[in-house]
Amino acid sequence: MMKYALISLALLSTSAFAGIAVVVHPSNNSELDAAAINRIFTGKEKAFSNGNKVIPISQDSATGATGEFNEKVLNKTAAQLKAYWSKLVFTGKGTPPKEVMNDQEVMQLISSNPDTIGYVSSGAVDGSVKVVAEF
Amino acid sequence: MKFNYSLIALVCASLSAHADVNISGFASINGGKVLSGTGVPHYGVEPTFLADYPIVSAYTEDFSFKPESLIGLQVSAVLGEGLSVTGQVVARGANDYNAEFEWAYISYELNENWTVQAGKKRLPLFYYSDFYDVGYAYVWMRPPADNYTWQIFNYEGINFLYNGSIGDWSMTANLYAGKEDDPNNKLLSDFFFQSPTREIWEDILGGVATFSKDWLEVRVTHMQYTNKRFVGGVASIWDGKDSRDGKFYGLAANADFGDWFVLSEFNRLDLDGNLDTYMVSAGYRIGEFTPYVMISDFKQDGTGDVEKHNTKAIGLRWDFHSSAAFKVQFDKVQDDSYDLAVAGDSEAITFGVDVVF
Repeated sequence: MMKYALISLALLSTSAFAGIAVVVHPSNNSELDAAAINRIFTGKEKAFSNGNKVIPISQDSATGATGEFNEKVLNKTAAQLKAYWSKLVFTGKGTPPKEVMNDQEVMQLISSNPDTIGYVSSGAVDGSVKVVAEF
Repeated sequence: MKFNYSLIALVCASLSAHADVNISGFASINGGKVLSGTGVPHYGVEPTFLADYPIVSAYTEDFSFKPESLIGLQVSAVLGEGLSVTGQVVARGANDYNAEFEWAYISYELNENWTVQAGKKRLPLFYYSDFYDVGYAYVWMRPPADNYTWQIFNYEGINFLYNGSIGDWSMTANLYAGKEDDPNNKLLSDFFFQSPTREIWEDILGGVATFSKDWLEVRVTHMQYTNKRFVGGVASIWDGKDSRDGKFYGLAANADFGDWFVLSEFNRLDLDGNLDTYMVSAGYRIGEFTPYVMISDFKQDGTGDVEKHNTKAIGLRWDFHSSAAFKVQFDKVQDDSYDLAVAGDSEAITFGVDVVF
């Protein structure tokens, strides 16, 4: 009984620090490390290592997933990221990733388009996508 | 059968003609005044803080919102297959809020690395040149006036934009060529010659390369142009010729460690002798607050009464809203020239709110 309680406590604490999963279409076999993911989501890398054009999908800035992704993967606060993108948008050098509302919308887009990459709370992952990194 | 194909082609064409139009924008509402200053008595210039040279954002001892407030609107139509059209209109308090197109260009992605752009764009001379108007994008009230003393800040021409990587380094580059003919240059007309001045920069040819990795970013640039000038309709003559060549060299390095950051820029313009400028700034992020300091310097090569001025600034940025920042900055300007004095010594306070939408 004690053991089970411990295990469920452990499970609970994992879900409290849910973590972020970076996901792609199951057919995508590109190599993606943290640096490559950072470059893709900051507009510095425009293709997967398999040569296909990459379509990054981000989430509304109010979502927990976005806050965690910005902090752990992009190492930027929301304000820093907004300043970074304003610099590119108003000089014709880049456009920020397409933004959707939540994990479910990301999962739908990723599972239906082989050129997309997104991030979701680890708990939202299912078999329709492939996890390439967790943070 | 043939008919079917043309129908399909028609449908495809009308689909791609259906443009995805984005509207975005930025605004800065800034105010300020000179706390104390010498002005330039022998030119009849009252105590003045010239916060910006090309736009002539001049603060005096009377508090004003006009010199640096602006609003910009950008409309971008994405036409598919890598083609887009962008227009940016900016209305400045310094120009009585007359809205003007500052950017108007067509952009076409050749491949994942190269994009070609043609039309009217901002000349990417200094690090902050092309997003100078977007106050939200940088920490200070403005990039330092001592460095950004250019007369021409737009050009019409063609630009090749490169995005790629070398090993672990990300690289972006610009190669551009063009011309600008400004029939009534504000800086030269209103401030320096006090007579309508037409300023021409032609055969502009420039390159910019920016390398970034982790916490470090380095930008190098070179640009050359041929300058012609008509003051009150009369051609300026330099060494017996009605034109002169300018060569610009720039190096910028930024280090960002998350909390701490250091920004720097070093420039040389060789135009009948060297004009050297530099800027060094550092800041520290504490949650929504970013206090910073900056020094900037302009020096004309030579002895005697050369153009020489510097600014020391201290300020604070507060990201009080997800799309807006409040800033306040104190500037102390020292102008060491007599004949080439710009606006004299001054101490000024400026503050404002920058928004992006």
